[in-house]
Amino acid sequence: MKRFILAFVAAYLFMFVWGWLLNGVVLKDVYAQWQNLFRSREEMMSLFHWILIGQALLILAFVMIYASGFAGGGVMAGIKLGLMLELAAIGMRMAIYAVQPFPGQMIVYGSIGGLIEMSIVGAIVGVIYRPSATTPT
Amino acid sequence: MNSKKFFIAFIATFVFIFIFGFLWYGKLMSDAHMAVPALFRPEADFKANFLILVLGQIVIAFFFTLIFVRGFGSGGGVAGGFRYGLLLGLLVCGANLIRYAVEPLTTTILLGWCVGQVIEFAASGVIVGAIYRPPSTTA
Repeated sequence: MKRFILAFVAAYLFMFVWGWLLNGVVLKDVYAQWQNLFRSREEMMSLFHWILIGQALLILAFVMIYASGFAGGGVMAGIKLGLMLELAAIGMRMAIYAVQPFPGQMIVYGSIGGLIEMSIVGAIVGVIYRPSATTPT
Repeated sequence: MNSKKFFIAFIATFVFIFIFGFLWYGKLMSDAHMAVPALFRPEADFKANFLILVLGQIVIAFFFTLIFVRGFGSGGGVAGGFRYGLLLGLLVCGANLIRYAVEPLTTTILLGWCVGQVIEFAASGVIVGAIYRPPSTTA
């Protein structure tokens, strides 16, 4: 349980910092070109708690999936899970692109960022979360 | 990995996601989506991109099935599939909460998407778990 909580907290902190760097700094100008698709800065700040809750829920579910089916595989299993989940997310972005007027450029940048992000999330979880070892009698 | 069972599970999941998506997001949530027309493509534009939607659903179904088989396939069964699908639905719901904070989505859309995705993936998990069963051991 201790390792589960540690993995959750470490991956959550990474996601928070990464999300800010990628969306708030690197892609800031790209988002600015499509302001009509996003809330105003003031509105976003008033709903900021939903970002924190959303990231927490996402990471909690990730660690639970890892702990349920991939624990014991270490860093590589974590990275593989992160990559597979992000590839599924790229499918979701394709579906979103088909129904919402996002530019293709934004979908591509989001997908590249997501692949890096989820690989690192997986590596963090894989390094920290290990199933409790059985002691020989 | 049992390739035949994997392929059948993947196709069944895709068919379910396609039908569920049409009914839940396309029909049931149609009015909620119409409330913010600026956030959605016009009908003609959507039809022109329909193939991308279908390809996206194929990608989702493929990796959803692959993760189950890689992580739970040796003993997941229906219960394991349901649990995995539920967790994936919650993961996607977390992503939607983030989207709600940055995109001008209504709370009705957020709620509809979250509930829909939890049902969609939990049911997909049941389908995959029922089809991709570990070989039964004979005494």
